[in-house]
Amino acid sequence: MKLSAQYNKTSIIISVSVLFVGAIIYFFTIKYIARSQLDNNLAEEVDGIVHYVKLNQQLPKQVDFDEDQVIFIKTDKKTLQRRFFDTVYSNPKERKVEAGRGVTSLVALNGDYYKTTIIVSREDTEYLVQIIGVITLGLVVGLLLILSLANRYFLNGLWKPFYDLLQQIKIFNISEDKNFKLAKGKIDEFIELGTAIDSMSARVRSDYQNLKHFTDNASHEMLTPLAVITSKLDIVIQHEKLPPEIYEQIEDIYIATGKLSRLNQTLLLLTKIENNLIDDREFLDMEILLAAKIKLFQELIEAKNISVVEKLLVKRVSASEYLMDILLNNLISNAIRHNKDYGELRITIDDKEMLFQNTGTPTALNKETIFERFKKGSKSEGTGLGLTLVENICKFYGWEISYDYIDELHSFKIVF
Amino acid sequence: MKLLIIEDERGLRENITTYFNEDGNICESCSDLGSAMDKLAMYEYDCILLDIGLPDGEGFAVLDYLKAKMKSESVIIISARNSLDDKIRGLNIGADDYLTKPFHLAELKARVVAVFRRKTGNSKGMLVFNEISIDLQGRTVAVNDIPIILTRKEYEMLIYFIANKGKVVSKTALAEHLWGDQMDMHSQFDFIYTHIKNLRKKILEANGADYLTSVYGIGYKFAAQ
Repeated sequence: MKLSAQYNKTSIIISVSVLFVGAIIYFFTIKYIARSQLDNNLAEEVDGIVHYVKLNQQLPKQVDFDEDQVIFIKTDKKTLQRRFFDTVYSNPKERKVEAGRGVTSLVALNGDYYKTTIIVSREDTEYLVQIIGVITLGLVVGLLLILSLANRYFLNGLWKPFYDLLQQIKIFNISEDKNFKLAKGKIDEFIELGTAIDSMSARVRSDYQNLKHFTDNASHEMLTPLAVITSKLDIVIQHEKLPPEIYEQIEDIYIATGKLSRLNQTLLLLTKIENNLIDDREFLDMEILLAAKIKLFQELIEAKNISVVEKLLVKRVSASEYLMDILLNNLISNAIRHNKDYGELRITIDDKEMLFQNTGTPTALNKETIFERFKKGSKSEGTGLGLTLVENICKFYGWEISYDYIDELHSFKIVF
Repeated sequence: MKLLIIEDERGLRENITTYFNEDGNICESCSDLGSAMDKLAMYEYDCILLDIGLPDGEGFAVLDYLKAKMKSESVIIISARNSLDDKIRGLNIGADDYLTKPFHLAELKARVVAVFRRKTGNSKGMLVFNEISIDLQGRTVAVNDIPIILTRKEYEMLIYFIANKGKVVSKTALAEHLWGDQMDMHSQFDFIYTHIKNLRKKILEANGADYLTSVYGIGYKFAAQ
């Protein structure tokens, strides 16, 4: 939920409930005041009647009371508590029944007692309450309307610098040298946020550049000594007078050096892929690349007497030829290296997916860790980075790679 | 052949010099851009081995200089940087080949010989080693004028050995030359053995001399006895 929506919701709930409670209190207060006003009037009228009776020694006529209804009933009671009550009032002119307010009191005339009841219409006060109610309701609606409009336009405007910044953070590319456009406006918080983000991004960028240079330099610095080792060995073996054991040792050094240099180059490549530094997409026909690769590995395939089943359908991708070469190399050489003699290798490609299935060790490999760095089989001579590289290349192009062990076949499936 | 080695790593510079300084080759070397420029201004070379990352600047400056002065030296870049951009840039401004460190000296020698051969423009494209003659354009081989049929790997091997004649070539260097560095070494060594055996047999069958000898299991040597 957006902040403004949340804010809107809260402010509307609070104002509505305050206004509602206020309106209830307001309603009862007005009603109470109006009623006491009516009661006062009635009391005055009763006093007026008493005064009139004292003065004139007779009961007043109905006509003297305008539209108020006055009823005198002779009673034996000597005392009667003055009592106000709600009742109905029948309007003689309009011939209809309205809400009314009455009072009963005792009036003494010539030793007789009369129970006097005066009923007045409550219509006017009811009407007043209604008018006030309508005005209050109008106020509430108006207030809510203004509140939500203000929230929508004023608050959104207020948050605009924030959304601008957010948009820039979303498209932030670490390798691009582009500064943040700082938020305009007078809001201290946003200006501060913008400055903080700008300095943070500058720091991240410079760290990234440093790291990039470091990897570049590290590669250079590591490969040069390796080149020295290799060339020294190349010179040493020219001697031909060394004992054979020494040659065995030298061969192992050769192999280790070669492995180290491959490891180094693979790590560099992984860093490049992870940092989006490879950008030479072109249209490639995967089935043609695959067929060429299988041919290249023919010697290895024949040496192990592996039977290859190819089903290559047309698949065109947009990718780097260099990365595709590495991808296919790794998958095919794995499928051959970990295969058994007289085993089987099935390679399938169509528009949707590419599948490598091979026979090999009769147990499934761990699906979870197989693509992890430096995870390799006990008999593997590789760097332990091959499948990591494969996975990263797939991720780079948004393809999905999975491993499965079905029908005694180790299968690697890439879904385009 | 006169060579200039521009490389700041002393050990590598010395080894390249040692390896190349035979059969009439003259090697000179320097370790920075400044002295390289001085040498280039004064002398002519057949081939220059150029490191890109030099202490006083990038080796590309040498290529720019050669281009500006219209000099005809062949250049092979030897660099630790395996980036495609560098490779393309180097080849675009006049380098003849690009070799990534670490490399085997035998590989470097083969590249230099190939570049030199192209440059000296042996018009018929024939490579002759005693009774073995190779038509480089047609990729055919004849021993004592008897054509022998070689597989692609055997042919590549023969060219490689002739470029490194008289040297012990390690199996790892051979494997990398023939297959690149993609496959693991152990399985390749068996193939090398088979290819060598076949190549040797084919030359011998055509009454060629036995030039190939195995050296203590570490490698092979191709040399006239």
